Amino acid sequence: MSHYHQPHDTVSEYSDIRSWRSAPLIDRVYVGYGLAVVVLVVLSYLLGMFGWLPSDPDDMDLANMLAGPLTEGHLFGTDYMGRDLQTRLILGIQAYFLPGLLSIVIALVLGAALGVLAGYRGGRSETAVTYVTNLVDALPRLVLMLLVIAAFKPGIYTIMVVLGLTSAPTVAMLVQGKILMLRQRNFIESAVALGISPARIILKHILWYNCRALLLIQATLGMAEAVLLETSLSYLGFGVQEPTPSWGNMVQAGANYLLQGNFWVSTAPALAILFTVLGFHLLGDGLNNMFEGKRQR
Amino acid sequence: MSPTPLLRIEDLRTYFYSRAKQAFIRSVDGVDLEIARGETLGIVGESGSGKSVTMHSTLGLITATPGVISGRVVFHDEAPRDLLAGLDACTRLERRDGRIMSVEKDNRAWQKQVERNLAGVRGGKIAMIFQNPKAAMNPYETIGAQISEAVRLHTAFKDPAAARERALHWLEAVRIDSPRLRYDNYPYGLSGGMCQRAMVAMALAAEPRMLIADEPTTGLDATIQARIVELLEELKTRFGMTLVLISHDIGVIARLSDRIAVMYGGQVLESGPAAMLLEQSEQGHPYTHALLASMPRAKNVKDGGRLPAIEGEVLDTINVPRGCRFRERCQRIHDGIRARCAEQEPELVEVTPGRRVRCWLYQA
Amino acid sequence: MASPILEVKGLSKHFAQRRGLLGLLSGNAGGTIPAVDGVSFALAEHETLGLVGESGCGKTTTGKAILKLMPVTAGEIRYRGQDITSLSPGEFRPLRREIQMIFQDLDAALNPKMRIESILREAIGLCEPELDADGLRRRTYELLELVNLKKNKLANFPSELSGGEKRRIGIARVLAVRPKLIVADEPTSALDVSIQAQVINLLRDLQGQFGLSYLFISHDLPLVELVSHRVAVMYLGQIVELGSAPRIAHAPHHPYTSVLWSSLAEKRSREAFPGAAPAWGVFDFERPSGGCRFAPRCPVYAARGKPAECTDPHNTPRLREIEPGHAVACHFPL
Repeated sequence: MSHYHQPHDTVSEYSDIRSWRSAPLIDRVYVGYGLAVVVLVVLSYLLGMFGWLPSDPDDMDLANMLAGPLTEGHLFGTDYMGRDLQTRLILGIQAYFLPGLLSIVIALVLGAALGVLAGYRGGRSETAVTYVTNLVDALPRLVLMLLVIAAFKPGIYTIMVVLGLTSAPTVAMLVQGKILMLRQRNFIESAVALGISPARIILKHILWYNCRALLLIQATLGMAEAVLLETSLSYLGFGVQEPTPSWGNMVQAGANYLLQGNFWVSTAPALAILFTVLGFHLLGDGLNNMFEGKRQR
Repeated sequence: MSPTPLLRIEDLRTYFYSRAKQAFIRSVDGVDLEIARGETLGIVGESGSGKSVTMHSTLGLITATPGVISGRVVFHDEAPRDLLAGLDACTRLERRDGRIMSVEKDNRAWQKQVERNLAGVRGGKIAMIFQNPKAAMNPYETIGAQISEAVRLHTAFKDPAAARERALHWLEAVRIDSPRLRYDNYPYGLSGGMCQRAMVAMALAAEPRMLIADEPTTGLDATIQARIVELLEELKTRFGMTLVLISHDIGVIARLSDRIAVMYGGQVLESGPAAMLLEQSEQGHPYTHALLASMPRAKNVKDGGRLPAIEGEVLDTINVPRGCRFRERCQRIHDGIRARCAEQEPELVEVTPGRRVRCWLYQA
Repeated sequence: MASPILEVKGLSKHFAQRRGLLGLLSGNAGGTIPAVDGVSFALAEHETLGLVGESGCGKTTTGKAILKLMPVTAGEIRYRGQDITSLSPGEFRPLRREIQMIFQDLDAALNPKMRIESILREAIGLCEPELDADGLRRRTYELLELVNLKKNKLANFPSELSGGEKRRIGIARVLAVRPKLIVADEPTSALDVSIQAQVINLLRDLQGQFGLSYLFISHDLPLVELVSHRVAVMYLGQIVELGSAPRIAHAPHHPYTSVLWSSLAEKRSREAFPGAAPAWGVFDFERPSGGCRFAPRCPVYAARGKPAECTDPHNTPRLREIEPGHAVACHFPL
C-alpha cells in the first residue's frame, strides 16, 4: 500500500531547488560521512603540519610494544617499536595530502581546459583533444607509474603530477559532454548572441554554473586515487621511507607481525586507508546523486 | 434519451504526487464524458487541461503514481463493462473540506487488475495513436511487421501470410504511397507524415470499435497536417469510425468533430455539438469564448491592432483554487456571482439541449 | 525603401554533408545541403517582415546567419548600410547588442542554474556596465514591467517558470541591451493558445514603444499575416514569394504559397486545386534538382503537363517583381 498525503491546501511557487534537503537519506548519509572524513583529514594534516601531535612519533615506549587500541597513553595502540600509532597515523597524512591536492589541481585545470577546447570550439580541436585523451586514457596507470619510478626515481610530487596528467582525460571528457548538452539547449548560442565575451561564457556559464558539481566530484575521486596511489607505492617500498610514517609503509612493516597474531599493527593503517578512501568515494557518489542525478518535478 | 454511448467516463480522477512539493497534481479532477457510436468527439484544451491524461487513464496507460484514483469508465461493447472495475478495492481516499488530501493505493494490485480489465480491449477494441509517431513506433521493426503483429493479435487472421495481406490492405487504406515498398521500411526511413499514417494503419489493423487520436497533427508540417486531417475524415465516413480526437489545435478540432469538449485545469468546462460551441460561443463558457477570440488570426484583431488575450497564466493543476478554476482569468465575472465563483465549484449542467456548461452564469 | 535597417543579398549557407565510407564508395561524394540558397530581402525600420515556411525551409538558419551565429557560405548582410558579413567576432561584438534574437526554444536563453535576477542583471551589465546597485535594480524592475511580469519572479529559477513566463524573460533579456532589430524565431510556437495572444500583443506594444524592427519567423501562416507588414515565403532554402501580408494571404502568386494557405486544417483544400498532386513532404535535399525546387510537388506544373522550363537547371526561377512591391520566383505565377 502506498500513501500519499498533501498537508497544505496551497502550494508554494518555489520548488526545493536546494537539492540536499530533498535528497534521499542514503545520499545525505554518504555526503555526511564523506564530509566528516574530509574534515578529519584536513584537521589531521594541519595538526601534523604544526606538530601538535599526541606524542613524539619516534618515541619508543618499549614497555608497551605491539599494544592494541585503548592502551594506557596510546589511543590506537603502538607498533612493533612501541611508537604511538595515533601519532603515526596522523603524520601519515602528510605523505599524500599536498601531493594529492597537486594531482587534483592539475587534473581539473588541464581537464577543464581540454574539455572546453573540445566542446566549445569543436571541429578539429575536438578531434585533436579526443585523440589525445583516448591515447592517455588507454595507458594503464599503475604500470605507467612503476615505469616512471623505475626510470626516473622521482619524488612523490612528480608522481602526483603524472597522476594528475593521466586523470585529466576523464575530466576533459566529462566537461566536453556537459558542454555538448548545453549546446543542445541553444544556451551557448544565445549567450554569444547577446554579446557576452567567450571568456565569460566559458568561465561563468559553463564552468562555474554548470560544471562545478562535476569538477568537485572529480576532485573527491581524484583524492581517493591519490591516497591509494601513495599508499600503494609506499607499501611497495617506493614512496616514503622509514622512519617517516606513511600508511602504506606502516601496513608493510606491520605485515611481518601478522603471523604472530598481532593484527593490529598492520590492520590499523589499513583501516585508515579503507575509511578514508571510502569517505572520498562516498562523498563523490553522494554529491553526484544529489546534483547530477535525475531531477524531480 | 439517446442510444447508449460507446464509452462513458464518469467522475474520473487521476492524480500524480510531487514529493518535492508534497502535493497532488490534480491532472484529471472529476471528468465526465460520453462518446456515442460513430461520432467524433474533439477534446480541446491547453497544457495542463488533462485531456491526454484522461484518455490515457481510460486505457490503463498511466503508470506514474498514484494515477487513477476514482471513477468509472463504462465501455459498451457487446455488454457494458467498467474498465476501472476493482479500483475502489485498491484505493482509499480521504477528503478535507471536500477536497481529496490523502490517498492510499495498492499500486501493484491495481496494475494487475488493470491488465485483467483491459485484456483484449486495449489495442483491440479501443486503439490509440500518439503524438510524435516516430517515437511511438518500435524503431527496430519494420512498420509492416508492427502492423501485422496488430492484425495477428486482435483479428482472426493469425496466419503470417494472411496477416501481411491485411497489413497491406490497411496501408493502402491510409493512402501511403507504395505500400508494398513501405511495408519493409523502418520508422526512421519515413517522414513524419508517413509515420503517422503507418501508426493509423497499425491502430486500424486491429479493427477497433473506437480510435483515440492524441495530438495526431502536432509537430507535423502545415501541408502534412492537412493530409492527416483529410485521412481521418475519410476514415470516419468510410468505416463509420468512432473517434476521440485530442488536440490543442482548435482548427483541427473544428474540422473533424461532431461534438466538442473543452477542458481546463483537469475538468470539462463545456461540451456540446461542435457547431454550437464554435459559432455561438458567447452563449457558452467564458473560457471557450475567450479562447476562440484570442486565437492569433487576423479576424480577431481589435482596433489598435491588439488581440483580446486572456490575461494570466494557464492553471497549474498542482495549485487548484477553491471555487471555479477559471475564476482568476474570467472576464465575465460580475458582482452577482463573484462570491459563488470564489467558493463553490459549479457543476456541469445542461443549459441548452445537448450543451453542458460548467459556469455560474448559467445556473441559479 | 528609405535606407533599410537590414539588407540581405544572395545569402547562402551550405552545410557539409559528411558521407561515410559507404557513401563515398557508392558514389555520393561529399555533397552539401544548401539550407539557405541565395536569399535576398530588405527590412525597413519599424517594419515587421514575416519569414514563413515549413520545417527545413531554412528560415531559422537565415535568422541565425543574420546574427552571425554561424559562418555564411556566400552573400552579404548589411546592417544600417554597413557590411557585417566580413567582420571578425571581436569587431562584431559591439554591434551584437543592436541585432538580437528571440530563440525558438524557450529554455535557450536561460541558464538553468541562474536565478532570473542574475540573468537579467548580466544582460543589463552588458549594455550599461556603469550602473550601481540601485540603478541595476531599477532597470531590472523596469524590464519586468515592460514584459508584464511580477517582481517575485526574480528569485525563481527558470525551471520554476511557465512557458509564457520563460518567453517573457527571454524577451526582457533581449530588451536589456536595447536592440534595434529583433529576429523572432517562432516566438509563440511552444506556447498555449491563450498565452500566444499575450506575447503577440507584447511584441506589438514593444515595437511601437521602442521603434523596433522585426524579422518574424514562423510556420503559422495566419499568425504571420496578422503580425507582419510584409511576408517572404521560403521553400527549400529560397524565397519564392515576397509581398505585403494581405496580398500574400489572400492573393498569392506562387503555387506553393497558395498550397500552404489552402492547407490550413480549418479549410478544405479541395478548393485550391481540384485533383492537386498529393504533397508528400519529404524535402529532398539529396537531389537538388536544377530548376524550380517546387516542381515535383507543384500542382501548376502537373496541370500544365510538366513543362520543361520548370525543371531546366539553367532556368531556375528568380524573384521577379510582377506587381509593385510584390515579387515571385515562378515561371507560371498564378
